[in-house]
Amino acid sequence: MRSLRAVPLALLGLVWLAPIYLLVVNASTPATEYDSRTVWKPHGFALFTNIGDAWRKADLGHSVLSTVTYSVVSPLLAVLVGAAVGFAIVALRLRHGFFWFAVLFAGSVFPLQMLLVPLFVGYADTSLYDTRTGMLLVYTAISVPFAAFVMRNFFTGVSYSLYEAAVIDGAAPPRIFAQIYLPLARSALAAIVILQATFVWNDLLLGLTLSQSDDVRPIMPALTSLQSAYGGSALPTVLAGALLVSLPTVALFLATQRFFVRGLALGQF
Amino acid sequence: MTAISRPATRRRVNLAAGGFSLPAVVLVAGLLYLPFLYTVYLSFTSYNGLGTPAWTAWDNYRTIFHDPDLATAARNTLLWVVGTVTVPVGLGLLLAVSTYGRRFGTWLRLPFLLPYAVSGVGVGVVWGFILQTGGAFGQALDFAGLPGKDTGWLLDAPVNTIAMIAAASWQSVGVNALLFVVGLQSIPREPLEAARLDGATGFRLFRHITWPLLRPITTVVVGLSIVGSLKTFDIVWVMTQGGPGTSSETFAVSMYKTTFVAGDYGVGSALAVALTVLTLVVSISYLRRQLSGARAV
Repeated sequence: MRSLRAVPLALLGLVWLAPIYLLVVNASTPATEYDSRTVWKPHGFALFTNIGDAWRKADLGHSVLSTVTYSVVSPLLAVLVGAAVGFAIVALRLRHGFFWFAVLFAGSVFPLQMLLVPLFVGYADTSLYDTRTGMLLVYTAISVPFAAFVMRNFFTGVSYSLYEAAVIDGAAPPRIFAQIYLPLARSALAAIVILQATFVWNDLLLGLTLSQSDDVRPIMPALTSLQSAYGGSALPTVLAGALLVSLPTVALFLATQRFFVRGLALGQF
Repeated sequence: MTAISRPATRRRVNLAAGGFSLPAVVLVAGLLYLPFLYTVYLSFTSYNGLGTPAWTAWDNYRTIFHDPDLATAARNTLLWVVGTVTVPVGLGLLLAVSTYGRRFGTWLRLPFLLPYAVSGVGVGVVWGFILQTGGAFGQALDFAGLPGKDTGWLLDAPVNTIAMIAAASWQSVGVNALLFVVGLQSIPREPLEAARLDGATGFRLFRHITWPLLRPITTVVVGLSIVGSLKTFDIVWVMTQGGPGTSSETFAVSMYKTTFVAGDYGVGSALAVALTVLTLVVSISYLRRQLSGARAV
């Protein structure tokens, strides 16, 4: 009886998988055989050819490489910067520490739309527009409030006597930070990096606003321009591109579900 | 006196504290706060990116209040908020409750969870393809003997917005279910067992015991959904770019188009400020209502 109740759920699950089925099947259809009237039927297997086309002809390759850089380097920098300020507030007892913490965290409250125009104008004036440095900088800054929030909370749970003992042993703050506090926080650091890497990888708005060349433009804006430039018979190429850029985040998500949920519940409210 | 409280040491530690905080403060002040303030300033000016902004006081705000296209954007954004709070949250809750504690529950939830890891752009590309006129969705309807084969799902308002809300729901049901499962895990066993002993089962058990106990996580899920839906951009940008015309624009899409397509930075900034104020007002009043409600219980 109980197992019968699973049937509607499983059926609904199949409905949920249908778009993924359509994505895979049509991303695998050879471009020459694509027919918009028969999209539910498989038409051979040219997935790798199509991905190759998206990579080379549509130039997604450059974007993928830049986006890998952004989504690895920016979260790592942000988590270091966030851990440093968390350490300063909790262990070094930064004066007005809570005030600075609140100021940093409030930086993540307003919508991205508030930043777009000034960043665009400012980047154009300082020739950061359409540069990898510019993209790295903005992705790092945007990730800092969340990193600072989580790290400050994490370090609050670390006993202060640990810090005192290290001081008595003659260690200076940089050493205490690097050799005691950072290693302690490994799991929190990893959770932040995973969440922020996904955010950077999936970003559309900042990439759209602050870059334009194939070398600099992140993957999501690149995919949207691929979609509007192609169409019709090249649709399998576009879908292969969509599949390609989704694989890393899907794999990462499935491997680290726990971190995601904790981060979601932690970070946003 | 310990090594920590000696004045000379204290001064060195203060210096170190400042040094450790500096990068975060500089990054956030320079790339988040400064732009924020500049947007507020620009919203009171007329500016197209060239020359200097000219002060026009409240003109931009008057413009956006009288713009019929923005009435459309307001209607669509409201649809997004209502649609997002009902479908993905409701379905997520249903999914969580009906799979929680069941054998293979994790596996039953997996199909719903997969789309969450796909980006908004990816979801938009796939659903744009599915909802093409006469596309996969139309063919499926035809196969099932239903009308709608040649409906332009993305061509007419308000159907296009509703279709995109469906696409967004496809993406977010799973993660809402997951958050509700976390909430269910934190419910203590005793009240549930006591209620079962009293003969409560099924919907009554849910209505009177589980649902009230789920309130904290419901607040989080609904709050996240409201804030997220107010800022809807990616899916709309990919699937319709707000079109045809302006029929499926949301506030966030209008803001982007006004600024970077029409080149009107002043009005675009005013829209950004309006969106921010709206987000803050809605989320603060929602949280206040939830919190005062919790006290009354």
